[in-house]
Amino acid sequence: MKIKYFAWIKDITNFNEELLNSNEIKNLDNLKMYIISKYPDLKKHLDQQILRFAVNQEYIVENIDLNKDDEIAVFPPVSGG
Amino acid sequence: MIKIQKEDFNSDKEIHNIKKLHINVGAVTSFIGYVRDNNNNQNVQSINLEVYKAMAYKQLEKIISEANSKWKLIDSLIIHRYGNLTVNSKIVLVSCFSKHRKDSFESCNYIMDYLKKDAPFWKNEFYINKNEWL
Repeated sequence: MKIKYFAWIKDITNFNEELLNSNEIKNLDNLKMYIISKYPDLKKHLDQQILRFAVNQEYIVENIDLNKDDEIAVFPPVSGG
Repeated sequence: MIKIQKEDFNSDKEIHNIKKLHINVGAVTSFIGYVRDNNNNQNVQSINLEVYKAMAYKQLEKIISEANSKWKLIDSLIIHRYGNLTVNSKIVLVSCFSKHRKDSFESCNYIMDYLKKDAPFWKNEFYINKNEWL
């Protein structure tokens, strides 16, 4: 699966995107655990519910199953317009 | 119509290009958002707008479709820019085309509200000596 990072999240991860090939990441909650263990500075933002998650370009709030072809995006609140 | 682009645009021309397709349109309401020179008491030099393009198209289509279900819209237009934009630059244009003014006024307001809430764009604001994500 592909993980994309936007805005200041990229300053923490140092990547725009990364490809994950793990059999252990079966759902969004698994992925959240993965990213905060890889990027501990994201933990406080996850805890404060600042991080937004999208799966295949749709906002996802609840835990859903993930497939290997999914595109997951992690980003802060939007500020366009 | 939805356009997500780096380039500036001519609002009159863009609105006219849609208006001329519909002789039954009697009302057009437009909102234009610009980069202003001051935000949170800091002098803004420019902004860099980042976008998640694939998702932005999807979310804007969804917002337009919801607006269509609430008001009698004949057509609609959203142009949102990204990249480096200096003070005075246009950021966004939303135009709503309908028979009567109420539908165009209210739908334009609705689309802007939801664009600001859901469309995946992020502003990085540049001041004289630093920059900040909004």
